[in-house]
Formats: sequence, C-alpha cells, structure tokens
Amino acid sequence: MISPAAAYRNLLLFVLPALAVYLVFAVLPLATSIVMSFFQTSGASGDVFVGLANYERLFTHPTISARFWNALLNNMQYFAIHLIVEVPMGLLLAALLTSGKLARSEGIYRTLLFIPATLSVVIVGFVWRLIINPLWGLVGFPLLGTESTALTTISLMSVWQYFGIPMVFLYSALLAVPNELVEAANIDGAGGWTTFWKIKFPLIAPQFGLIAILTYIWTFNGFDLVFALNGSAPGPNYSTDILGTYFYRTFFGSSGQLADLDLGSAVATVIFLTVLLVTAAYFWLIQRRLKSYSV
Amino acid sequence: MRSIRVSIPLAATLGVMFSSGVGAAFADPVTITLNSWRTEDIAVWQDTILPAFEAKHPDIKVEFAPINTNEYNAAVQSQIEGGAGGDLITCRPFDVNREWIKRGYFESLEGLPGLANFDKTSRAAWSGADDKTYCLPVAAVLAGFYYNADIFKELGLKVPTTSAEFIDVLTAIKKDGRYTPLAYGSAESWQLAYNGLYSIGPAYWKGEEGRLGLIDGKKKLTDPEFVDAIAAFEAWKPFLPSGQESLNYADMTQLFTLGKAAILPDGSWDINQATSTGLNVGVFGPPVPKAGDKRYLQEMPDMGIGINAKSAHKDAAKTFLDWVAGPEFQELYVNAAPGFFAMSSKPVTYKNKLAQDFADLKKGAELTPRLALDRLSAGTPPLDDETWRLLQVMFTKSDVTPQQVATELQAGLASWYGPQKK
Repeated sequence: MISPAAAYRNLLLFVLPALAVYLVFAVLPLATSIVMSFFQTSGASGDVFVGLANYERLFTHPTISARFWNALLNNMQYFAIHLIVEVPMGLLLAALLTSGKLARSEGIYRTLLFIPATLSVVIVGFVWRLIINPLWGLVGFPLLGTESTALTTISLMSVWQYFGIPMVFLYSALLAVPNELVEAANIDGAGGWTTFWKIKFPLIAPQFGLIAILTYIWTFNGFDLVFALNGSAPGPNYSTDILGTYFYRTFFGSSGQLADLDLGSAVATVIFLTVLLVTAAYFWLIQRRLKSYSV
Repeated sequence: MRSIRVSIPLAATLGVMFSSGVGAAFADPVTITLNSWRTEDIAVWQDTILPAFEAKHPDIKVEFAPINTNEYNAAVQSQIEGGAGGDLITCRPFDVNREWIKRGYFESLEGLPGLANFDKTSRAAWSGADDKTYCLPVAAVLAGFYYNADIFKELGLKVPTTSAEFIDVLTAIKKDGRYTPLAYGSAESWQLAYNGLYSIGPAYWKGEEGRLGLIDGKKKLTDPEFVDAIAAFEAWKPFLPSGQESLNYADMTQLFTLGKAAILPDGSWDINQATSTGLNVGVFGPPVPKAGDKRYLQEMPDMGIGINAKSAHKDAAKTFLDWVAGPEFQELYVNAAPGFFAMSSKPVTYKNKLAQDFADLKKGAELTPRLALDRLSAGTPPLDDETWRLLQVMFTKSDVTPQQVATELQAGLASWYGPQKK
C-alpha cells in the first residue's frame, strides 16, 4: 500500500514536467506582457512605470481607439458568424453521422468532412482567394474587395475550414449516449426528431456549451486567416481588421511604422481580459447549470 | 495554429540571449553580425558580397543575420533596448530611423571617409535631428511603368510622355478590347500609394517643393496641386480590370506577365518578376502634366546600414561600412539584386538591361522620395497609412471624390503634426 502522502508526492512528480513547461511558456510570457503594459520601455531613460497611460492612450486617442473599437466589433461579427454557422453545422453533421443512416460509409464521411481542419490556413486562404478571384476564379464580384462583404467572406472561409472540429467533438459526445435510452424512446413512439431533441441533445448539452465557448476563445484569438489573406492592415478600409491583426500591427510595426511594444502589450492584455472575463462568466452562469446526466 | 500567443516578450528575450552570445564567440578574427530584413538576400550576401569583403580583410568575419521582414522593427527594438542586437543594423528610411537615432541606437558615422561618396539628399533619409548621418546609404528603389512592347507595337502605340498622352494610350488599348490597359488592382492598398499616387503625383506637386512644403507647413494637402495629383490618379479607374477591388499585387504581376495587360505600374524591385516569362518588356517614367514640363521620378531610399552604439567591435564595423561605401560593393550589390539602385554619386553600371533603362530615367529628372514617409508619418494617424486607406476607399467606392480624400488626409495630418496645426 502506498501512503496518501507518497501518493500526493508521486502525483506532483507526474504533473511537474507539464506544469514547468506551462509556467515557462504560457504563464510567464503572459505575466511579462501584462507587466510591460504598465511601462514605457522605449524612452532613452530605460523602463519607466507609467501606470495606466498605455490604456488611456488605447481608449482615448481618436484614431487608436476608433481602430480598436472597429476591430472589436468586427471580431464580434466574426464570432457571431462562427457561432451561427459553424457550430450548428457541426451539430447537424454529427447527428447525421451518428444517426445510423449512413451505414458503412460513416467512416468515409467522417474523414472527408474533417480534412479541411487539417489544412494549413495559408493553403486555405490561397485556394479560396483563387476560387473567388474575379480574374481567374468563379465569382465575378469582388467579394474580398468590397467593404460590406469582405468580413463575412473571410468568416465563411474559416467556417469551411473548421466545422470539422465541433463535428467530431459533438460526434464523440453523441456516441456516448446509451443505446438503451434511444431504444426506449423508440418503443415509446418517439420519432427521429423527437429522440434527438428530447433525448440526445439534453445529454450532450454540456459539450455543446463547451464547443460554443471554445469557438468564442478561438475567434477572439483569431489572426492567421485574416493575416494570410489581407496582411496586417486588413482592408478595405479596415473592414476585416480583428483584434489579432490590430495587436500585430501595433506590436510589430511595419516598414514605415515604429513597433510600439508597450501599447501592443496593453492591447494583448485587453484581448486576454476580454476572453477571460466572458469565459469565466460563461462557466459561472451557464455551464454550471447544465446538468450532466449519468446513466 | 488557430491563435496567436502572447509570448512575444519571451521570444524577444530568448532572441536577445542568443544573439548576445554571437559577438564574443571568436577572439581572432573578429566576427561582426549584420541584421537585415531582407531574408531573400541571404545567398547574395553569403556567396557574393561577404566573400569579396573577407578576401580583402581576412581579420574580419561578417555574419549576415536576417530577421523576418514583418517582425524586423520589433525584433531590433527589443534587442537593442535589451543591450544586444547585431553590430551592424540595417536602417529603415526616415521616420522609423529618426526615432531609432533619437533613442540612441546608432553610433554617428561622421568622419567615415566613405561617406564623402554620398550627397546630402542621399543621406537625408538617415540623418538625425542634429543633421549628422547615422547610417550609410546602401540602396534605393524607383517607381515607374513596365509596358509590354509587343502589345504597343501591335496597336501602333507610342510611349506616353504627358498625362493626356497617357490617357490616350489607355483609351486606345481599351477600345481595341483584347488587352487590359492597366494591370492594377486595389486589394493591396500600399501599392496604390507607392506605385500610383507617389509615382505620378510629384509632377503635380513639383517633387521636393511640395513634399518639403508639407513638412514645414507652407502647403496643405487640400492645395490644388495635391488635389490635381489625386484626380490624375483617379483617372486610371476606368482602365482597370473588372473586379480590380479584389486583385492583389501577385494577381497584377501575373496579369502582366501572361501578356494579358499592356502596362504595369510598379516598382523597380519587381524587375525579375515582371520579366519572368520572357516578354519584351520596356519601362517608362511618370508622365508630365503638360508637354515640356519638368520630369520627376520617385527614388525611394530603401536601406542603409548603421553601427549599433553598444557594439563591441565598432572599428571592424567601420572598416566594413567604409568598404560598403565604395564602388566594389555598390556594383556587386545592385547587380546581384536587380531593381535596387546605388545611391552613391560615383557612376555604377547595371548588367540587367531593364535596370539600366530604369537608371536612365533618372537622367534629367528631379528625384523625390515617397511623399508621406519623412516626418509626416511619425504620429497617429500616420499620413502614409491614411493615404493607403483613403486611396483604397476612393478606388473601391464610387462616391468618394479626390477633394474628399485630400480633405480627410489634411484633417488627419493636422490633428497631430505641429507645422500643419495652425
């Protein structure tokens, strides 16, 4: 028999490697950048503590703050499109895959549908840009060059790439629903529709909530597809600018613009808090109340 | 990867730790490192330029250490402020570099013999507020128009010299209907400014007269010469391919190199790409408003090299820069990287024919750098960024006039730039 103390010691030993990596590569840089956002590091006199000055600049300077709110609103739209299109699409396909209607081709469909999620964003951006290119592609209308359609277009490309993730996530949740319950429902005369909404969906509601909040986290940390398609000043007229590209532009500068490391850190901190607070609120208010049934 | 991480300060710290070890690694010969954003030049430096230098100076080894272009400014800033960075640093022109000089990143180059090969205008992009030069001018780029000589011959067209002739040529190509007149699109806003307005505009605002007038506050962007320049640029709109709002830089070059478009407004750096399919390509400079007017050409200082004020090997770095200032380096570099032009007052021959044609455009023309990069972009909103954005708005929407663009540009500049405030 191992004593409880030894068990805890062993436990700690097993956790330690992962914890060390996590601390050094995730927690430490995050803390450093939060600290940095309270400093002015570019002056000739070295690092000076400036309190909330960087944040004040971010929220009150007419141009800087206008671009920030624009990026935040665009990001909300980017998230909304993912939530409205990507997550329900994942649910629908997961339901189809587990319905038994596909019989033996289930595995093939599952694989085919998941493939886009394994592609590099650069490839996805490149291929879609060609498909909708007015010169060489299928669509004559400049979807990416028009302010009113550009962001939706990019969002849908991202949806196309990533709907496989909520799909497999919900697929595995649906597989865990016990067959007896479904059979019992069938015997009681429930059809496919009723069975799904009254039996299966309530059982996977916690996972559904989880994938929704993960989508929120992913879209608010989103960057790469927009950057691959439109660079770090995503036009036209900043209509496809999201928080990730806004941060990148501020922190790294460009050929003609200085890199503002302090303001960039402030932006990174604001993004972090936006994600953290909403996620925490979600877990506090909603996820706790979703009952997970055990059978 | 779906997210960007917030670990950049750490990455920068690691970068500093790694690069600080480099300088002290060899006692004899001295090794100095050169930071650059030109990752694509790595073979040019390692195989051609540095061996030529090291053959003359066996006691100095130079290591070319490029950093990804997009991250260059942030990397240099965090390295130098962390007390490290390469011994030699490639300098961005104008405002970025002026700020770097102000922060004390560079050693002054006054007294370097090779500096005598460069006139004041060439050094202007790398001078500090004290008028001292901090980086050695290495290369400049030009902007102009590539044209498909076979299409011109087929349609019986002559190379245009005035704005009216330019529009006539475009109209003739459009009427013929087989070719797109201008391979140009507005998905990438930077090139609307750099290859469009800043290329044809100087003929209207009279190059340095207009540019310096904005800098010292004597002129405004709403003055007729600037509005006329923006209007002359807007006149290109009917001659662009359909769907131009979505066409990016690669699409434009492709349209031209496939022989489907007659004229490509572009920079000299694109020489290799523009001629990659073996077309019979010529080049002409920006047209003048009226016959007999003075010609202007955009010559943009692109890179200089300065010495890190915290370098431990300043003497070796100076020896290297003195060599860079001489004709041997200039010839080697401009011929290894066609489209880049020497800024030295000593004559240089170009082996690439189109590069020589580009260089010939300089004769008899007044040279001027890009309008908004000197001082006018050192605040928020930077005039250069605003120009990109507003030109793109003008080219993607039908209801925005040149006058509105000028008014908004002026308002943005006047919101922070002292001499324009009154």
